[in-house]
Amino acid sequence: MTSPILTLPFIALLLLPSAASAGETLTAPAKPFLAIEEVKSPGGLTAWLVEDHTLPIVSLTFLFNDAGSARDPRDRQGLARMVSNTLDEGAGDLDSQAFQKALSDHSISLSFSASRDDLAGSLKTLTRHQDKAFDLLRLALTQPRFDAEAIERMRAANISRIRSSMTEPEWIAARLLNDLSYGDHPYALNSGGTITSLNAITRDDLAGFVKNNLSRDRLLIGVTGDITPGKLAITLDQVFSTLPAASTAQTLTDAGIGHLGQTYLYKKDIPQSIIQMVQPGLDFKDPDYYAAYVMNHILGASGFGSRLTEEIREKRGLTYGIYSSIFDMDHAHGFTIGLSTENKNAAEALRLIRAEIRKMQDHPVSAQELADAQSYIVGALPLSFSSTAAISANVLGLRQDNWPMDYYDHFPSRIRAVTAADIQRVAKRILTPDNMLTVIVGQPEGVDAETLPPALPNVE
Amino acid sequence: MKTLCRLLAVVALLILPPLPVAAQNAAPEKVYNAERFTLKNGMEVVVIPNHRAPVVTHMLWYKVGAADEPRGLSGMAHYLEHLLFKGTPTLPPGEYSRRIRALGGDDNAFTANDYTAFFESIAVEHLETVMKMQADRMMNTSPPPADFTAEQKVVLEERRQRTENDPKGFFAEQLKALLFINHPYGIPVIGWEHEVAALAWPEIESFYKRHYGPNNAILVVSGDITAAQLKPLAERYYGPLKPIALPGRVWTKVPPMIALPQLTLHHPDIRQPLFMRIYRAPSLPQSRAEGRALSLLTEILNGSAATRLYKSIVVEKKLATSVGFDYDGIKISDGAIWISASPADGVSLETLEAAIDEELRKLIRDGVTDQELAEAKIRMQDSAAFARDSLSGPAMTVGQVLAVGLTLDDAEYWPRDIESVTRDQVQAAAKTYLDPDDIGQRPYISGYLLPEKTAAASAEPAIANTPEQP
Repeated sequence: MTSPILTLPFIALLLLPSAASAGETLTAPAKPFLAIEEVKSPGGLTAWLVEDHTLPIVSLTFLFNDAGSARDPRDRQGLARMVSNTLDEGAGDLDSQAFQKALSDHSISLSFSASRDDLAGSLKTLTRHQDKAFDLLRLALTQPRFDAEAIERMRAANISRIRSSMTEPEWIAARLLNDLSYGDHPYALNSGGTITSLNAITRDDLAGFVKNNLSRDRLLIGVTGDITPGKLAITLDQVFSTLPAASTAQTLTDAGIGHLGQTYLYKKDIPQSIIQMVQPGLDFKDPDYYAAYVMNHILGASGFGSRLTEEIREKRGLTYGIYSSIFDMDHAHGFTIGLSTENKNAAEALRLIRAEIRKMQDHPVSAQELADAQSYIVGALPLSFSSTAAISANVLGLRQDNWPMDYYDHFPSRIRAVTAADIQRVAKRILTPDNMLTVIVGQPEGVDAETLPPALPNVE
Repeated sequence: MKTLCRLLAVVALLILPPLPVAAQNAAPEKVYNAERFTLKNGMEVVVIPNHRAPVVTHMLWYKVGAADEPRGLSGMAHYLEHLLFKGTPTLPPGEYSRRIRALGGDDNAFTANDYTAFFESIAVEHLETVMKMQADRMMNTSPPPADFTAEQKVVLEERRQRTENDPKGFFAEQLKALLFINHPYGIPVIGWEHEVAALAWPEIESFYKRHYGPNNAILVVSGDITAAQLKPLAERYYGPLKPIALPGRVWTKVPPMIALPQLTLHHPDIRQPLFMRIYRAPSLPQSRAEGRALSLLTEILNGSAATRLYKSIVVEKKLATSVGFDYDGIKISDGAIWISASPADGVSLETLEAAIDEELRKLIRDGVTDQELAEAKIRMQDSAAFARDSLSGPAMTVGQVLAVGLTLDDAEYWPRDIESVTRDQVQAAAKTYLDPDDIGQRPYISGYLLPEKTAAASAEPAIANTPEQP
């Protein structure tokens, strides 16, 4: 994101699930769920394309593997994010304002973002402005200016964002959980930067990051919309071919999750306790992945209908929202639970969460619960392919996680093959209700926890 | 993490549709190509065909919201929205969402000042099941006492999470309460805590019986369906419902005021000061011409990082790290304009506010340029194709437009209507509603959110750019 515009507290954009994509259907098994085609450019680049001429829109998404904030030096935390903020702040002959005006005059959306593992970009344009859009992307990636004015502006915006986040208890809990989880591993660092580290970042740092990380061997591309394979092949070379062929990826060790079995408290004078818990999960390439997916859905991923929501929200009114999730990054995987509850109910909520996890391990889920979960997961799949950009992002996701092109064709049968016994087995194998790392922000009553110091790690 | 469920829509942004730049003399192109019909019992139905995938979004909008709550019973409309998931004589509590999920659908609901909406996205073959259950809960909601009580706690937790936990949320609520004096928009949609805690089913039920009925509802279905296909289903499930005697809606008005209020909060958790300002302005239903001019003005001021406010305040003068300008015109009664900005290090909120006022004065004095106007129109018109690139987005926009009393044509021909706005209209709207020097008995509210007053926190000196004290 460039040029963050403040979001007003009352202006809540409603994010709706939406659906629709080119000729996809679940009811015609002969036809693939997504008609993905691999496009190879004359210069040797590849992209996965879902061609769809319904609307005059092209969405191109891409990422550079192992170019995320895990590469930030400790004294330059936030570097990958600053790169993502400044790449579209002027390139080639265009200074920041000229570049931004070129984007908005042609109704082009271009954004970059940094995760722990990758640096990603997303370009969306009307077909009639596609050549302009591709050229601006090329400039941003290959000739970023990193003018002092833009660097200072983005630095100030990031520092302001950090200071603003410090009133948000969820943000504080997430920062602490991350820090305690990963210890000395780079994943523990603050990917948004610290006030000190952001102030230390120089133009050379930004240029060096781009030079050392944005190379063709680490590039993955997903495209959807109103573009032909032939046009895309030419475009790939135009946009990306002048990037270096290869660069040295860093060798990161895998990260475990530390402080398991411990509960930490960050005292804050607010009426609710924010509770976040984490423990190791599983690799998504593990044969138990689909069983874990359905297990997590039944336990806590689905909101209404999931056990945690039913027991803690619906029956007892102890929270407005409780969710569990499984994640798998390049060097760590995990299972997390998060909720907020009135301070006096914190101990009760923790007891109920542990009881629900044990129940998942001690008893098989009912046939009805399993069938409902499977039909939701399979039936709702098209709702995640609702727009050109959503399809493009999902296609890139397949490449990022190294799934085959026909992943979604087999997904329903693999979900439906999961049994109650599989779920109980994976719950026993993975979940450790008495050995999770727990962070609480607030003033919880009746919870035995180690109190953390008021200074947050890697924030100032 | 997924968005929390049962959303509270305080303000939903309208996705401004727009048409591909068409020849001036061609018939204006519609954005959505929606079809409509009305059932005999008065229920309005709109269909927005989109055949890219075999799925639909079903949205049922009720023309009742927080603004209709009796005095002292704030939060009732939103709590009732939650209770519609708590069962009917033929459907146990929670069963509604469970069944939708089991069919591979997503469902949720939200409440705003003017309306309450319930929606499902689901495979088109299950649409009928959705309609059958929606028709049931329109008339027969009756939560068991234990579920009623548990849900009251949920709503109070929702309020704590949104408001009390974060001084920014709390402060914005208070700012709005001061702007909309003697007007229902001054009362938070989620309700004041002490009033929500005291709500009982009999009074909520009477509110429900008064407002929930087919002739107070608008059905919007978008996706893989046509009006011809939907009509028999709508007649079968919603057709038999009896119309209710509608009470009419009462709007108390903000009286003329002469003083300019300013709200300041020093809070120990605040590390980044924040400037906010809210104006009252006409909504689109109150004045389409002025509302369109204000929409265009918003695009000119704040449409991108290359437009006026960001360029001047953040890039050139370096007084802020971010600045926002939003017009909320999709309201039945008064609309509002929000300005907000985070000051750069060492810049006082007074200095920042003065610079924003200077921009507004310049705008009122010189107007906008022809080029700014033309570029903003093109950006808004280009967004038509993007607006269509969604299953539920069009249902959301069209439903919102109709729920506040605008017409389907207002949504369909928005690009044409925007095209007709002139420079003079934009300048006049700015002069009438944003002038910092002439409030015309229509005061705006400025809010300063600041760190605790201590020697260490003197980053907001009384005089601009005074160095920080050691």
